[in-house]
This record gives sequence, structure tokens and C-alpha cells, in this order.
Amino acid sequence: MQQLITVWAVFQGLLLEAMPFLLIGVAIATVAKALDPRGRLLNNLPRGPLIGPLSGALLGFALPACECGNVPVARRMIGIGAPLGMAFGFLFAAPVLNPVVLLSTWAAFPDKPWLLLLRPAGSLIVALLITGLLQLQSEAKLLNSELLAERRLSQPLIDVSLLNRRSGLIGSAISQPQSSNKTNHGVKEFIELGALLILGCAIAALIQTLIPRDLFLALGEAPTLSIISLMLLALVVSVCSSVDAFLALGFADLVTPGALLAFLLLGPVIDLKSISLLGRILTWPAIILILVGVSMVVLLIGQALNLVML
Amino acid sequence: MKQLPLFILGLWGVVFLKCWADGRLNILLHSIFHWLIFATGIALILLALVGLRWLPQTGKKCSYWSIILLIITGLALILFPPRPSFSTLAANRSNIELGDSELSFFSAPEQRSLTDWVRLINSYPDPELYAGDPVLVSGFVLATPAGPPEIARLLVRCCLADATPVGLPVSWPKNQPWPKPDQWLQIKGVMAVESHHGALRAVLIAKKIKQIKAPIRPLEP
Repeated sequence: MQQLITVWAVFQGLLLEAMPFLLIGVAIATVAKALDPRGRLLNNLPRGPLIGPLSGALLGFALPACECGNVPVARRMIGIGAPLGMAFGFLFAAPVLNPVVLLSTWAAFPDKPWLLLLRPAGSLIVALLITGLLQLQSEAKLLNSELLAERRLSQPLIDVSLLNRRSGLIGSAISQPQSSNKTNHGVKEFIELGALLILGCAIAALIQTLIPRDLFLALGEAPTLSIISLMLLALVVSVCSSVDAFLALGFADLVTPGALLAFLLLGPVIDLKSISLLGRILTWPAIILILVGVSMVVLLIGQALNLVML
Repeated sequence: MKQLPLFILGLWGVVFLKCWADGRLNILLHSIFHWLIFATGIALILLALVGLRWLPQTGKKCSYWSIILLIITGLALILFPPRPSFSTLAANRSNIELGDSELSFFSAPEQRSLTDWVRLINSYPDPELYAGDPVLVSGFVLATPAGPPEIARLLVRCCLADATPVGLPVSWPKNQPWPKPDQWLQIKGVMAVESHHGALRAVLIAKKIKQIKAPIRPLEP
């Protein structure tokens, strides 16, 4: 019983901390849609396989939010037809490549300048590789069906046929939100994502209260196992990227440098709290692909660092 | 009911303001986030009021499960404030290494907080340095798997999810039973050296133990 009461408290802590960032993200997405309803600005951004994700990643400096706030923004980008590579680059790298997170990393680890360099660099590498991997798949396989339908309405007919649009001559019409309706759309987005956030926080609170954290830290000395265990910890703990460096400070000296970097790279891309939110953008096979892909890339980066520093 | 989503926004505005006002944030979040909770509550209520007054209610409906989950969770947050067992939470998390705190040596021993003591001992582990120093600390009772309970505090960088215990070993009076986990105590005593698993460590010899109320802000930054 004590454990359930404690799970309830941890759940409240996680939810109350994350919900404001979700609201900020939805607000940014709603304002962006009102200012640039057809995404002309975003559509003029680079589309190349490398420059696209890179420009998306750098957008984090303009929209500093953690992963909960980035999901609605990235969803909006995709919905209005922005280049997919750019939106994915933003989704995966912006939670680290933003001034708030870089400052908190520096504040937590002033004695580890290599971390201040390798965290953003690693995050960029992860974002570029995962975006490249995802773009090998068709949009239909990657995107949540509702978002895909919305995106196709915004794409030129040269790219998408009437059949794909499910509007016009064939299929049921999907209405493009009217200008007076954009705020309603934002309210709906907040409610849908808020419900998913509740589920994510509940799972994270349950697992991290019931499973001893020492299980994850026990393998701190072993080069490979320490990376894997800290990656699992990042998945479970689900704290926001703007404060995860302070959490890592508590065990930084107990684990290998590669494991520390892996913890700071994986959490901002995917964790138990954000998996459910990602479901509003991507299909489940795509989320599994991201989870596996990111884990492998982060493991390799951690291994490379351990090879150099140990 | 087309206006239900806006009522839910309003409900969550009330939830955030209630959480901010009833003091629960002190046991859930680092204080730097408290203003954010207040601002979010105000923003949600304003959005709901503006929406109800001026926005035409058109467009797609929200899914029923999202609406039900948000209403149930919002009401539960209002009705059931958190009463976490710090001891249960800390039992699953090992003590952390705290950074250097050389300034702690400049303060008188009896003025050092429990966290100051743990910092100091982490920085200068030789227990002989502290033997005989007077101690006056407060914290909650943290059960340990093998051995007597410690006196501890929780450190939080973000929210309760990352709370990590810092504890001081205590030698409890022989003629009294050990205190129960989660009790808040103020302990007056002296530091001493004891052998623990073949190594020497600093231990607080408790001389005077007073049960106290949990502080308003039980989490340490």
C-alpha cells in the first residue's frame, strides 16, 4: 500500500512538471499555424537529406522546449507539409540542441568540458542517423494515419494524388481547419496529448518506484553493461531534458564516461513518458524502429567514448 | 457537448492552482518550477474563459477516452493529495555522491545541516576528523536493508521522480527500540568512529531524540 501511495506521488511530480512544457509546445504549434497556415515558411527551408535534418535540429535554438513540448511542434510541422527530414531533425535533436539544456549541462558538469561538446554533437549524430533511417520508409508506413491525412492535404498535387488525399473526387473529404478554428484545434491537441502524457507518467512512476534504481547502477564499472544499464535508466526515469544533467550528476562518478553520455543522449529522444506522445506522430512500428535505432547508435557512441577515455 | 474540451482546460487550470496553493509542490517539485505551475494554472483558466466566451465551437471532437482520462485524473489530483513515504522511495535508490563543500568546515559543527554533514564526509572521508564534534540535525528515518535505520533527507533536482537520499548512519540508544521509518526526528548527539564491514566510518551517536513535524519544505535542493 505504501508503495502505491508513493507511486501516486511520483506520478503527480512527473505530470505537474511535464504538463506546462506540453502546454508551451501546443501554444507554439498553434501560433505557428495561425501565422503561417500553409507552412510556406517551413516549406522554404532546406530539404536535402543532410541539410534538412540539420536545419530542423538547429530550430531548437529558436524554440527551446524539452521533449514534451517538442512533440506538438513537430506534429504541427509535419501536418502543414514541412519537409519530413527537417521535422524529424527537430524532434530528435532540439531537446538537446537548445540553450536551456546546454546551459544546464554546463552548470551540472563544469569540470567535464568534453561532455558539453559531445552531448550536442552526439545528439546531432543520433538525429541525422535516425532521420536517415526513417526516411528509407514511406510516409504511409511512418506517420500516424490522422496526421498523414492532414499532411497530404497540405502537399502539392504533384507529390500526392487525389486518391492519396482521400478528398475531392474519391474518398471522404477531410476538412482543412478554418482560420477561426485554429485555437479549437490547439485545445483538442492539448487534450489528446495530455491524456497520452498521463499514461506515460503513470507507467514511468510505477516502474521507477517498484524497480530498485541500484539495478541500473550496479553495472557501473563494466564498459558495455554500464552503457546499457544507464540507457535503461534514462528510459525509465523520464525526466525532462532541461534537468537530466543534474540528475546524472548524482551518479556521474559511479559510471563510465560512455554510460554518462549515453544517459544524456537517449532520454531526450525517447523515454517511457514520451513514447505515448510519439504515438500521435508515428506508427508503432516506426516508434519501435526509433527505439532500436537510437539505442544502437547511442550504444556505439558510448562505446567509442569509453574506448578513448578508459 | 461541444464546450466540454474548454471545461476540461478550466478544470486543469483549477487543478494546477490547487496544487500550487495547497503546498503539495513542496514535496513534489524543485522550487524553481513552482512559478511555472502557477502560470500554467492561470493560462489554462484564461484560455478556457476566452474560448467559452469568443470561440465558435466547431471542428473535430476529442476522443472520449482522452476526455474521460483527463477528467478522472484531474479530479483525483484535487481529491487525493500526495502522501509519499520517503523511506519507501529512498529504499529503491542508493545514496548519491555529493559534490565538494569546503565551506562546511567553516561553519560550527552543530550548525551544519544533515546535507552539509554528508557533503563534508564525502569530501573528506577520514572519520577521525569529526570524532567528538557536536551534531544537531533533522531528517526522516530511513530503514536500511541490514542494520539500524539512518537519518536522511531527499535531494531533488527536478521532481520526486529523481529524488535521491542522503543519509547519515546513527547509533541509536541501546535501551530504546529503533524509530519507525518515515518518522521525522531531530537528533542531538556527537560524531564518533565505528567499524562497519571491516572499514572505519563516521557515525552519529544519538543522545537526545525529539520527534518533530515534517518540515514544510522537506526536499533539499
